[in-house]
Amino acid sequence: MNGSRRLQQSAYHLGLWLVAIIFFLPIFWVVLNAFKSRRDILAVPPQLAFTPTLDNFRDLFARETFAPYMTASVTMSVAAVLIAIAVAFLASYSFSRFKPRGTDFLMFLLLSVRMVPAAAVVIPIYMMYNLVGWREDWLGMTLFYAMFSIPFSVWILKGFIDGVSERYDETALVNGGSRFHVVFKVILPQVKPGLVASFIFNLIFVWNDFLFSFMLGGRTTSMIPVLLSTGLYADGGVDWPFISALTGIYVLPPVIVVFLFQRFLLVGMTFGTVRGEV
Amino acid sequence: MPTPPPTDPNAAEGATKSTGPDAPRRSLAVRVRRFIERPRVFALLLIAPALIFFFVWNIIPVLTLIGVSFYNYSMVTGMPPRYIGLGNYEDIVYSFRLWESFGRTLSWVVVTVGIETVLGIAIGILFWGSVRLPGRRLALTLLFTPMLMTPLAAGIFFRLMYEPSIGIINYVTRWAGLGTFSFLSDRSLAFAAVVFVDVWMWTPFMVLITLAALGSVPKAELEAAEVDRLPWWRRLVTVVLPHAKFILMIGILLRTIESFKTMDLVFNMTGGGPGTTTELVALTLWRRAFEAFNLGWSSALAFILLLMAIAFTSIFLFVLNLRRRQQEREASA
Repeated sequence: MNGSRRLQQSAYHLGLWLVAIIFFLPIFWVVLNAFKSRRDILAVPPQLAFTPTLDNFRDLFARETFAPYMTASVTMSVAAVLIAIAVAFLASYSFSRFKPRGTDFLMFLLLSVRMVPAAAVVIPIYMMYNLVGWREDWLGMTLFYAMFSIPFSVWILKGFIDGVSERYDETALVNGGSRFHVVFKVILPQVKPGLVASFIFNLIFVWNDFLFSFMLGGRTTSMIPVLLSTGLYADGGVDWPFISALTGIYVLPPVIVVFLFQRFLLVGMTFGTVRGEV
Repeated sequence: MPTPPPTDPNAAEGATKSTGPDAPRRSLAVRVRRFIERPRVFALLLIAPALIFFFVWNIIPVLTLIGVSFYNYSMVTGMPPRYIGLGNYEDIVYSFRLWESFGRTLSWVVVTVGIETVLGIAIGILFWGSVRLPGRRLALTLLFTPMLMTPLAAGIFFRLMYEPSIGIINYVTRWAGLGTFSFLSDRSLAFAAVVFVDVWMWTPFMVLITLAALGSVPKAELEAAEVDRLPWWRRLVTVVLPHAKFILMIGILLRTIESFKTMDLVFNMTGGGPGTTTELVALTLWRRAFEAFNLGWSSALAFILLLMAIAFTSIFLFVLNLRRRQQEREASA
């Protein structure tokens, strides 16, 4: 009886692992491909046993396009998200505590911005940036991504600040603290998880963006996805070794994020509207 | 809001130091500080940066969009924009290709979200009792990673896997004796092939949502159902569903909105082809705007999509409020 229960349990666990592995297989396959020589990638039938090589990565790093695109990917996403979180934290404190007139409406508008298809957003921004000369400009792109990250951060952070009792604010004020003291020394430390969650997920969203970067960015302000798209073809065919190596590198951060920040995944993927852990 | 109490150090400072020689300057600093401390001023001060961002990057672009949508404005002809009133909107109403694209997007949303929801709920229920799974965190990482993939990259490497001669998927179909398929260039297969990739990417999201929804069911009620020896399907319908339905609805709505926006995924995988069999409305818009450079027409369509997004968001918030009200009811009961 006990033995069959344990067997059942093992079979169940094996099944769960199998499901997880099936979902990961495509990513595993592309990372595997990155370590294959060109001949092995193009081999028929596909090779499972092969001699791993780092040639693809060596080629990739040697390309003059790689470094600027990677730098842009890293610097722009980090800078934009930091700006967005600073702006969003202040605004969401105000929304949460003072509830100025129009708060609900503004929160609603902020959310709608993120629900519009990217192509529709990029058209007016494209016209505007052409006029002002912010296209292919590091600051213009970074500020755009900051705007893009603000709604999400406001929604997440307001949820977290709502969860901190107003008693803290009142106590600090009564004891002679200034309002800035309340915001930065009393509330800020208590919503650290919210800050981390919005930082991580906005980073991924900016990191994954293609269209805005493609339409608005120039040679030094475009991110890796643009390089993937424009570097797809070489010598009359698809340049699979290059694509595999680049994709292999670019998919690593999301994998690491899911592993390290699993408890924020739910709040991060639902705009902060569903809290909890899985 | 409490007014600053008499023990406020700022107030004391202002009172004692205003007699000194440089009194006017100090008292000005104090006055500024007091002014900032007023709730209304402070509230506005904190929102100001966000409002500036909102104004520059949302209000101005939307106004531009609405303005341009009344003009015949093409960047190719080099002609100055010409006011044509509602001409672009009329053209949109009569554009067969656009309606086809809308119809395709509708079936895309229904099919992808439908499959993802069913599969996600099934796998979510499967993972419900997985607390003691060895290496659970790693297993969940493997499961959840697809939804954080760069969509463009996913589209491209699935193209490698779909490749008729060297692709792994065709290797499997040949091994199974089904023969070779050129998934992405066959008119009858391309749509399904793209759906498959979307399902791969987003089923994990519905699993996540299902786990959250199941987690919101009170333990006591589950135990009561256990004691009553209810069959599993009655447990699901009478105990689990009433609690889980809101989170599920939130998840399905979010997925619907995201699915409607799909563009990066197909951009390099099929480019909307073969023909227009995988051209979703976001891609149609992009093509008219940046391949045909017909900015007036595209602005009109973009504005329509914006209104649709606002409608979607309203529904989403409506469900969110329903849930909040239910939670308050439960808390007070």
